[in-house]
Amino acid sequence: MPRIFITGLGFVTSIGNDAATVTGNLRNLRHGLELYPPFQKPDIPCKVVGTVKDFFTDSADQEDWTFPARYKIKRELLRSMAPNGLYAHCAMLQAIEDARLTEADVGNPQTGLYAASGGSPFLTHYHHERLLKVGVMRCSPLGIVSSIVGTLNFNLVAAFKIQGSSCGFSSACASTAHAIGYAYDDLVLGRQKRMFIVGAEDGNNDAILPFAGMRTLSLQGDPNVASRPFDRARDGFVGTGGGAVLVLETEDEVARRGVTPYCEVLGWGQASDGHNVAISHPEGAGLRLAMENALRATRVKPMDIDYVNAHATSTTIGDLSEVRALKAVFAENIARAAVSSTKALTGHGLSMAGAMESAFCALALRDGFIPGAAHLKEPDPACEGLNLPRTTLDTAPNVVLKNASGFGGANVSVLYKRA
Amino acid sequence: MSDSVSHSQPSNSTKQPFPLPVKPFTPEDEATLRESLKRCSPSTFEAAVQFRRTGNPEHMPAVVIGVVERFVEPDLRAKLKDADDDLRLIEDLGIDSLTMMEIVILVEEVLQLTINNDELRNLRTVGDVKLFIDCKIRGLPLPKPTKFLPIEHIGSVMPIQPPFLFLNEASVNSVSANGKYKITGQEFFLQGHFKDNPVMPASMMLEALGQLGVLYLLEGAPAEPGKVVGPNTIFFTGCEGVRAHRVCRPGDILSISIKPKRMKMPLATFTGAIRVGQEKAVIAEEITLTFGFVDAPVAPVPAAASTESAAPAPAAEGSAPAPSSGTN
Repeated sequence: MPRIFITGLGFVTSIGNDAATVTGNLRNLRHGLELYPPFQKPDIPCKVVGTVKDFFTDSADQEDWTFPARYKIKRELLRSMAPNGLYAHCAMLQAIEDARLTEADVGNPQTGLYAASGGSPFLTHYHHERLLKVGVMRCSPLGIVSSIVGTLNFNLVAAFKIQGSSCGFSSACASTAHAIGYAYDDLVLGRQKRMFIVGAEDGNNDAILPFAGMRTLSLQGDPNVASRPFDRARDGFVGTGGGAVLVLETEDEVARRGVTPYCEVLGWGQASDGHNVAISHPEGAGLRLAMENALRATRVKPMDIDYVNAHATSTTIGDLSEVRALKAVFAENIARAAVSSTKALTGHGLSMAGAMESAFCALALRDGFIPGAAHLKEPDPACEGLNLPRTTLDTAPNVVLKNASGFGGANVSVLYKRA
Repeated sequence: MSDSVSHSQPSNSTKQPFPLPVKPFTPEDEATLRESLKRCSPSTFEAAVQFRRTGNPEHMPAVVIGVVERFVEPDLRAKLKDADDDLRLIEDLGIDSLTMMEIVILVEEVLQLTINNDELRNLRTVGDVKLFIDCKIRGLPLPKPTKFLPIEHIGSVMPIQPPFLFLNEASVNSVSANGKYKITGQEFFLQGHFKDNPVMPASMMLEALGQLGVLYLLEGAPAEPGKVVGPNTIFFTGCEGVRAHRVCRPGDILSISIKPKRMKMPLATFTGAIRVGQEKAVIAEEITLTFGFVDAPVAPVPAAASTESAAPAPAAEGSAPAPSSGTN
């Protein structure tokens, strides 16, 4: 079986818009959460968001947007983008440069792209309102492609002349972990030589506030403690937007191009809870199975794992499920692997989470550190026995496990190894 | 297009100075208009305000061109500054069908009119767009679409034939005709014009303009019901204000254009111009042809439907209007 590597990364995240800044913030556990101005109203009880800096995308008119000057994007491309499309486009440009890919490396039948975002509720709302106000035939011709789920792959495949496999994934917060898994399969099966994995979210009012109805958002007013996975006092997740891109390539391509990869993708596993539309299984049954499937597929033993980048979003129920699943899988080795959720720093990137946090794992594997469990003051008693380092460890992990869980009880686990 | 030949003003405008009923234009409307046109030039907005206040179609071209300009990539906008009506939307301005929809929606909103999908697909040049909107606003029948005619089609309809035909390709609509001719050097008269120095005779350039006039009469001119212009009734009668500006030689590609000025049986008068690239070659203020109508031939089943086997196609809604569809 050919080996698969991560060769390029791109970031537009609440903790930085380039790999160096993100690495620094991961190492030093500096979070990207702020009091989000649109939330500072009496009727909005949640206050904090993992904000994207240096981008302005609050207008429904793309030509009003501003973004860092190093990105040159023509109107022709911009007009069909959602905010998450802009973030992803910029992260794509970074990843292509980072992986040292030429135009020919990107636009060919052997290179594909899998993507996920929640679409753009913001633009959907705007275009529907216009439809009602100015009439059916005066809707923007690009209203659909800029706002429905799939907007990311439509836009990026066209903009970057992708000719290989392309599609979107919609398993909510497991989406881009699924995308990585299936991209890995395509590469192993010889269907593709290179895959882009793209996750992005608007991270604005319309994307985040609907979660308030489920009572899953943190109501904390202090950005320094709002997101604290595994903590006894956690009270919900903090939303975030942005874009994250990974480049996966076969070992032949890595050798041909003579690039140094971040890390190896060992393989993956998935399983479903079969339990509830929105609530995770109390024992983490599906996630446990997903981890076991990933371990079996890669012939990795729990005792070989140095770091688990947990899915834990800082919700009361979800974090517990993951803790129970981890205990079941690791059993007597539970104290060996360091566990942390970097959502303490970024907030929860929803569809983007799997890709963004896998990219964090790639940075940790290359640079030899393990991000600590930020904001953790008093661990939930259920975490007894877990190794939750409060500060970043300067030990280089060899094998890393990444979990992601989404609505409907979809669970994905991916294993990465130092290259 | 301002001195359009074929359209008479409708006579229903007894009180209104302009044919469209002018809805009251409120300050709110003006604010909405300003927002809609915020990325257009100030003069575009001003023209739109004037149009909405008065209904005067004179302001319309400035609005339409201003809206088109807003959607054209900045480095191509210069082309619009002194564009003639032949500037092509797709080839010259890089406007794709989605951008065309953006333009249409904004024009609809600003000028308060509705444009159907099947009206759109015939708009190929800036002139087509201006004429189309003008007709919409004046409530006139829509112009026939520009027909692009390849040499085979030209040869089959023209009474003039090689080696005396000086058109390689042409496009014709109801207000203009454009053609191209490449001087090959093989033209028989170049052997003697001049000795060891082949130069396209100015008289032949006039002939080329006249031939394009013939093609216009046969393919573009509005005819009377049941009548068509008879190919054998057309003759050259005169020209005025002819100036030759540039010597044209083998290898030059002549861009020939005519616009009808007056048309009343049996005389049709055109202005004409020939360019080579951007250089003026020949200008004719007036070229006049005489023509006559003959009975239209009893229409056989349209040739365009021949591939559709025996099924009697319903009068081709949405399909290409004429046998010119192969050229784009």
